[in-house]
Amino acid sequence: MGPHVSRSGTGSAFAMQVNRVFDGGRHRGAPFAPTPQTMRVVSVALAAIGIGLPAIAFADLPMMSRDKPVQCAKDTDGHTWRIQCDHATKVCLYASADELDSEAHHSTKPLERVKECSFEPIDRAALTAQGYAFNPGRADAPYGWTRDDRGRVFQVNFDLRNRIYFGAAYTPKKILENPLESTRTSLDFGLLVLNVRKDRTMHRIRLVEGGVHLEPFSAELVLAHYDFSRKFIDPLLRITTFFGEPARHDLTLNLGMWTEVGGLELHRTARGNAQLWKHAVAEVTLDLWQSADLGSFLRVRTGMGLEGQRDEVTGYHSALVAQSAVELDVVLDDDGFHNLRAEVEHELPRYFVEMGETGKLAQRLKAKVSYEAIVLAINDQPLSFKLAMGGEKRDDIPGLPNQWAFVMDAGLRFSLWAPPRAHL
Amino acid sequence: MGTATRTSLILAAVAALAGSARADSCTGLTKKGGKYPVCFDLGNRVSVTAGSDGFGGAIAFRQIIHFDDDADLVWKLEHQVGETAHAGGSVGLTALLYRGRYMRHTRDGHLVIPIGQPKKVFLPFDIGGLVESGRVTRQMDGTYELGIVKTAALLDLWRSRDFRRRLAIGPLARWDVTVSPRPFVLGHHVVSPFSAGIANLHVESANGLTVADLSVEAGTAWTTDSGWRPEARAEASLERVVIAVNDRPIALVLNAKYATATDEAIASIGARVVLFQARDPRVSLR
Repeated sequence: MGPHVSRSGTGSAFAMQVNRVFDGGRHRGAPFAPTPQTMRVVSVALAAIGIGLPAIAFADLPMMSRDKPVQCAKDTDGHTWRIQCDHATKVCLYASADELDSEAHHSTKPLERVKECSFEPIDRAALTAQGYAFNPGRADAPYGWTRDDRGRVFQVNFDLRNRIYFGAAYTPKKILENPLESTRTSLDFGLLVLNVRKDRTMHRIRLVEGGVHLEPFSAELVLAHYDFSRKFIDPLLRITTFFGEPARHDLTLNLGMWTEVGGLELHRTARGNAQLWKHAVAEVTLDLWQSADLGSFLRVRTGMGLEGQRDEVTGYHSALVAQSAVELDVVLDDDGFHNLRAEVEHELPRYFVEMGETGKLAQRLKAKVSYEAIVLAINDQPLSFKLAMGGEKRDDIPGLPNQWAFVMDAGLRFSLWAPPRAHL
Repeated sequence: MGTATRTSLILAAVAALAGSARADSCTGLTKKGGKYPVCFDLGNRVSVTAGSDGFGGAIAFRQIIHFDDDADLVWKLEHQVGETAHAGGSVGLTALLYRGRYMRHTRDGHLVIPIGQPKKVFLPFDIGGLVESGRVTRQMDGTYELGIVKTAALLDLWRSRDFRRRLAIGPLARWDVTVSPRPFVLGHHVVSPFSAGIANLHVESANGLTVADLSVEAGTAWTTDSGWRPEARAEASLERVVIAVNDRPIALVLNAKYATATDEAIASIGARVVLFQARDPRVSLR
């Protein structure tokens, strides 16, 4: 074994060792790495963090492709290196097969989440003679992950539609006639949010999802939610127009279903507490737009629900509810850092028995929009910032003014799991 | 082996600390050559408990999720379902529909800080979460306290690749409500929007004969009837397997808890009988 040159500096260490890899230790020429500074390149991890900067400005070293084969070779010191050659550009990238310590001198442990590599002899001299250039790089990482200059892997792509989350928010509230209404805080949670895609159908499951607002107190909870969207290939109607050049226009109805059971709304008003039990809701959905991966959509839905309301003024009343909504749910970037949701909902509860001043028919109008962006990842579990606005007008709860009330909140959410988004 | 195993009555208690003389061998041997387990899997079982606080039971199971492409990473999932204790009469009912504790263990914990020159900071702890839903406690006045949800982000400072030890701290959120059964009316709500903290110490012996757990929650909570108020509660438990019948362990259980909201300190003692249990993989009865 030759002298261990890696003490002389990280960049030279890489260069010398890799030279030895490729020529079996015979070649002792000048290192081909540019400078130690360049080799170290410690522009770490903007990828997993900052809003709007997912997976950019991370490291200067190019990364090996996860889709191309990687070869492994040992140098005379017994260190393993990963090498990937692009035969079109005649560039070979090499990287240590081990994670390096903070000084980038010593190996700490084998790289995580790398693909299998084949151990084959590499004739560097022959490749160089053919015009191949050998450059330092970062080892490959699976989809949704990247590496820093030391080879440490971390997640840079998150699917917030598959997670357990909980968060807290600050919620100033203003009612139109009373802008000095007190401020409040809130918490929200989702014990399981799961999107499962099978072929052309996206199943969406939410368990125990809701939120609680303080002062004035209100709470919402849904025990179980299930909906699905389907991408139909065959159009329901094919319309051919003959104005000018004949053209075919397909009308595809991407129908789906939306259900919830065990919904609960709690309100505390000047006239006491009110509980709204939304026993079950079933609706038909029509997707007006779907993203290719079915992760984003714009849809309308309509259907019926059965609910019961108990308040301290009118007692308990059951109602059938006709309800409709327009929903938008979009992941704005490929890495899942920016998420936008909007919903406008109209509900018409029709009570079986007249309910005090409200009569037999009440009305609820709700609109909300929320934006959630990942700002930080702790051990690859995202911490996100949420900004939400909503408005509500209803006449079903005694004590709540029948006028628009608007709420805005801003807060943080911590998510567990959140794997990388499905890779198309 | 079957007969010997089924008929064996094992006095498994002894040393109080983990790692007794038998810790290196989880299979005991009778004079006649019969084999019996001396290690037990505390996390995967169906048990009933009879004690001074009533009779109840629980289902517990654990999972460890490994990743082929990242041998350093595991998710440790603990689930408890249907934990109940009922003392009869008008008081003394506690029940919990579900409790889950999910910890992500990796040797390379890290945080990426984007300020200035971006830095990846080593974190000497695991992270995870606690989730509880459906806790019911009957009060002295006949009402019930319903814990709708309790959740916490956890940082495990005493991390391990298995379930044997944990020192976890983190911010805690919960939402409880009092319920009057007749007529069914929801009373006041108690909400802690991460305004409290939790600390949990958990230690299990290597042979699964002893387990100790201490949880302390403290902070402020907001109530619909009296606004913000300080709250604290603590609970400690010790379980020690003292005997096994037909290879099913029976444990002595000691429990103590205190809550400032009710200013009650309750201690209990009982016996826990495991009806079904996953066999510890270190035990070989063949």
